[in-house]
Amino acid sequence: MAASQQHGVLYQLERLEAQEKRSARQQDRYQGQQDEETNLQVKIFKLRKLRDELRTKVKLQEASARIPITNLEPYESVKNSEENLEMKLEKAKAFFQAFHLTGFCGKLTTKGICICFNTAFEGNILDSYYVDVTIKKPLTIHQHSVPVFIPLEQIAAKYLDTNFQHFMYSLSEHLNAYSGRKYQADQLQCGFSAFLARPLQRNSLCTLLSFTYTTDPGGESFPFCARLVYEDLTTTLPTNVTIMYQGTGAMPASWEDQRAAHETLFYKNALHKVFESFSKVRENFDCISSVPRSG
Amino acid sequence: MDEIVAEFIRRIILKIPVGEIVKILRIWSILPESQLKTINLQQNKENISQEVVELCKKRASMKEAAILDIIYHQTCQVRKSWIVYKMTKEPGEEVDLFDMEEFKDSFKKVLQRTLKNVHISFRDSEDNAVWIRIAWGTPYMKPNQYKTTYVVYHSQIPFVFIAQGLIKKYISELCQALITAGSYHKIQQMELRSQYLDSLKAIVFKKYNQDFQTYYLTPLEEGNSEAEIVDPRIVHENEKEKERIRRVTQKTFGDYVQPRIEFAQYKLDTRFKTGSKNGILAEREEPFRCLVKFSSPHLLEALKSLAPAGIADAPLSPLLTCIPHKAMNYFTVREK
Repeated sequence: MAASQQHGVLYQLERLEAQEKRSARQQDRYQGQQDEETNLQVKIFKLRKLRDELRTKVKLQEASARIPITNLEPYESVKNSEENLEMKLEKAKAFFQAFHLTGFCGKLTTKGICICFNTAFEGNILDSYYVDVTIKKPLTIHQHSVPVFIPLEQIAAKYLDTNFQHFMYSLSEHLNAYSGRKYQADQLQCGFSAFLARPLQRNSLCTLLSFTYTTDPGGESFPFCARLVYEDLTTTLPTNVTIMYQGTGAMPASWEDQRAAHETLFYKNALHKVFESFSKVRENFDCISSVPRSG
Repeated sequence: MDEIVAEFIRRIILKIPVGEIVKILRIWSILPESQLKTINLQQNKENISQEVVELCKKRASMKEAAILDIIYHQTCQVRKSWIVYKMTKEPGEEVDLFDMEEFKDSFKKVLQRTLKNVHISFRDSEDNAVWIRIAWGTPYMKPNQYKTTYVVYHSQIPFVFIAQGLIKKYISELCQALITAGSYHKIQQMELRSQYLDSLKAIVFKKYNQDFQTYYLTPLEEGNSEAEIVDPRIVHENEKEKERIRRVTQKTFGDYVQPRIEFAQYKLDTRFKTGSKNGILAEREEPFRCLVKFSSPHLLEALKSLAPAGIADAPLSPLLTCIPHKAMNYFTVREK
């Protein structure tokens, strides 16, 4: 009798109350997790913004450290009208050259403007990309020849309508950097394939390159395995270089020095230049060894 | 090497045209060059395939045979019906660093976690893409190597091309594996299908309209040789109209070669429109549901030539001309 009384209404009510408390706690926990997730997302967004700002600062610093371009001489009116005209022509030509060197040129079309982005890397002229912008409110891209893995939509969403100059600058940065990375990878693949164990592996944006190489193309083995990561889509030098020793057994001490030296080289120099330096070192070595001993 | 693998390899060799057999075997690089040279290509196909199987006896298992299958499909451009899927990231997500090896590992893990007995093979192709071949099995059945699904994915590009093959059962698991491995948020089937993988790539990668050079060239004067009229009293009929049609066609289709697709399908859900008041269909309120399909060995070039040939008026309906721009060839048309 007492047992059946225990499972009476009050007991049921107590059970329900306990369940309610439990689910409320779970709700709170879930809510807490949701809040935490939103907080973390906000944090990520802030950190990314900070990172982009810092990157721009670093670039500006690097740019201002270079020798400033000497100013063009101020224009002076010349009495002789013919000379006047010639000077004007020369000046116009110089401006065209300068514009060409900035990498942009544009042409008006029926609906707007077609901008041509010329890319280059270390003095080598590379591919050109076109963006056709329709001039109406808001500015939209009508067609383009930008490769599909370049984040054009993201850049356009951020800047196209609000700050056209920034849009041009940002897109130009991305395209030039991509062209530069691709050029380095292609140069390495074509010019120094003897140094590589197998074709270099890369992704579409050339932001991750891995290859197995040696400094001695005549040798049998390819002792180094390199992995270059370019986290910043607007740079042509890697942000992260890892080189590992591939050979069997423990790495000899001399290899460790070489490995560390190579890492530094890859951080600071274009890919193909690093391999050029490897072949130069070998040439020098060969020269030295072929010099007859005196005495 | 067991009988199943031997039979599988034999059947692949039978499908390959004789001229390509050595080339494909060389790419496969399982058989050494010295053995490849000994294959007698003058005999009939049955014997050639038997000979190749003999040579493979000690060297190839199902794993290598699957790779041979991929190479055959890539080299001979085997006709398959490809469907395009689009993957999207969360808004605000950045382009991520893509490691092909990590992608393959992740894809394999996810798929094998949800489905037992699937046989997955990968082969990289030159344009930073990977071909994935999947043979589906069940816990009670070995993977069916003859009805395989192919997936082509280019690194860091948010589109995937999937060729059918028992796919309806497993499509959601496959999609899940793709978005997890590629770090995407969701995946969606596009209304775009064709047998020509290269054309599909051209359409979604927007590589078909690379005629920007025309902006930088002055338009050529219309130097029609027909205009070499001797007598000014002779005039060509409809000169202006022809010129207008030419201009409109050039504006819609451009000067480049169109990507090749073989059909476009329109599901119409609109009211039947007719001028006459008679007939059963006139003045009906309910929509007249039907399916219209245009087929051609090269549909877009055919559409491009309609107006100049005088068969249709220019400009053509935007439903026909929007195919490459909208990257669709399956449409549903409803009343506005």
